[in-house]
Amino acid sequence: MTATTRPTPTASRAAWARKHLFRTPRDSVITVITAAVLFVIVWRTIRFVFFTGRWEIVRVNLGLYLYGRYPTDDLWRLVVTLVVISATAGLIAGIIAKRTRIAAQAAGTPLPGTSIVGRIVELAFRLWPVVVLVALLLLLSETITPTLVTLATVAAAIAGRLVGALLPKRATFLAFVLPGVLPVVLLPFLTAAQGWDDWGGFMLTIFLAAVSMLACFPLGLVLALARRSTLPAVRVIGVGVIEFFRGVPLVVLVLMSSVALGFFLPQSILPGKVVRVIVAFTIFTAAYVAEIVRGGLQSVPRGQTEAAQALGMSPFRVTGWIVLPQALRNVIPALVGQFISLFKDTTLVFVIGFLDVLSVADAVTKQSQFDLANFAEATAFASLLFWVGSYTLSRESQRLEQRLGVGTR
Amino acid sequence: MSDTPGTDAVFADATQVAGTGGVMIELDGVDKFFDDFQALKDINLKVGKQEVVVVIGPSGSGKSTMIRCINRLEKHDNGRIVVDGTELSDDIRNIQAIRRETGMVFQSFNLFPHLSVLENITIAPRQVRNMPRAEAEAQAQELLTRVKIPEQANKYPGQLSGGQQQRVAIARALAMKPKVMLFDEPTSALDPEMIGEVLDTMQSLAEEGMTMICVTHEMGFARNVADRVLFMADGEVVEVGTAEHFFTDPQEERTKLFLSQIL
Repeated sequence: MTATTRPTPTASRAAWARKHLFRTPRDSVITVITAAVLFVIVWRTIRFVFFTGRWEIVRVNLGLYLYGRYPTDDLWRLVVTLVVISATAGLIAGIIAKRTRIAAQAAGTPLPGTSIVGRIVELAFRLWPVVVLVALLLLLSETITPTLVTLATVAAAIAGRLVGALLPKRATFLAFVLPGVLPVVLLPFLTAAQGWDDWGGFMLTIFLAAVSMLACFPLGLVLALARRSTLPAVRVIGVGVIEFFRGVPLVVLVLMSSVALGFFLPQSILPGKVVRVIVAFTIFTAAYVAEIVRGGLQSVPRGQTEAAQALGMSPFRVTGWIVLPQALRNVIPALVGQFISLFKDTTLVFVIGFLDVLSVADAVTKQSQFDLANFAEATAFASLLFWVGSYTLSRESQRLEQRLGVGTR
Repeated sequence: MSDTPGTDAVFADATQVAGTGGVMIELDGVDKFFDDFQALKDINLKVGKQEVVVVIGPSGSGKSTMIRCINRLEKHDNGRIVVDGTELSDDIRNIQAIRRETGMVFQSFNLFPHLSVLENITIAPRQVRNMPRAEAEAQAQELLTRVKIPEQANKYPGQLSGGQQQRVAIARALAMKPKVMLFDEPTSALDPEMIGEVLDTMQSLAEEGMTMICVTHEMGFARNVADRVLFMADGEVVEVGTAEHFFTDPQEERTKLFLSQIL
């Protein structure tokens, strides 16, 4: 800062306070009251978290929170799954990073190189809620095993990333194939220990949310396109499905999936409870996704379609290459909002007897050594798990938005 | 461009083609309705190969509707439209076949904002003509050089000026190697200082022998480039002639009124 610029920060800060907080007597009163309320809230939160809160209930039941009643002898299956998923994610990130780098080079604007350590630090800052949560979990756990598992997972991700960046260009298809192959391989592996109808904890929450999100997107897309179709029959089916499932409360669908489906389908072909409830979440969310996507499709100017048509592109290609990419980019915020909503709505499975995170928080207060006085701690921890998930989703979607929006408008 | 008719040449009707190269586009008794409103009334027009036709007229006169019927962005209700010997029908294959041969440039550019300039130009040849990527990109670079912005290939449309965007739009249409180019008020959305660069591009295209129909109010362009000028009003072709004819000796009252307003 040069000598000619503004006065010292302290002076300006005092001046700022006078101007914005204490300009009139009424301003001063409002400022003081607000400050007092804020102070009480912050102080009570700190006192609860660090002093009065009895976090024993969480520490003792950490396993229950995270993976429900998964058999202890088979926990290694979870570890293997975690490491494999992590390595795959790293691999895909590596492949994508390499392609981005090559593309940037071709465009004449090569990306600056960063060291591996720099990248890891950057990623840790980006995903800080996850990092903080994992650190907290490790602090709460009593053995060394969780730390080793965490290290193995991180190492797998780094290894995957490095290998992915080394793969030749024709390995790019792996980035599309692996996410499809992985569930097919991992699900039988995980369910070998115990049927998945007895899954619980955060594992169940993430599983329900992830599968429903992946499945509801293509279904919602198809419904949205069906609703805009020029074929009357297709349009009627699209409108019917969308309006029916948007009009029914989700909790009714969840209950129906568990109870009522049994009246219509014979037991022999009735899929498991988890599958049924995933179908309920998927169709319900797909109806909302369809309306979001339809809004996006309408936001693309008519001239875009006309320009593509005038070039002789087929209706299919006009939609796939010109209209949809723009429509989807426009609706990322709404879409992610819907996904976050879905993530939290998975707690509704408690009505059909699943032991998800929220049910765990309720159940542990009924253990003999704890009581309802511990309810605040038990639910606060469950809330933290959900917040970390939702906030990360939200942040990553903003990042995606920015990346896709580069240089376009 | 064909041999330019003399300054005093007056065409009896719009089906009299300038030059001798044969007919590229033929409109025969074309009507077009928007609900109860008749936008085109019995349009008869022939455009010869390598001919440049400029269409002028007040807004709402059906100029844009007419050229949008030629590549079926609007469906005509009566009459026949024939492009390079193929009659436009309701069959989507037939429509796409005609669209492939017919480039169009819009008033509002309509570039694809999510694709780079290079991708804007290569997408149609690659998707519609199955051209290999390398070949399509080489061709795109050539076209960009032709419209004098080779250095913008990797930018996005939003990063270009209006004049540059419209030149990319021309390059995008040319990438399909069309036999006809349709221009729908290509300079109307541009700032005055950018109009020249787009008209220059269009003029050199005409000089290379492209068949063109241009809806525009640029009378200077009409005078320099057009073989024939068509004046339309209320969905009808009112008067046909050379640009000189319109400047010096317009016949119809409606033509005189319109010209007095724009000149």
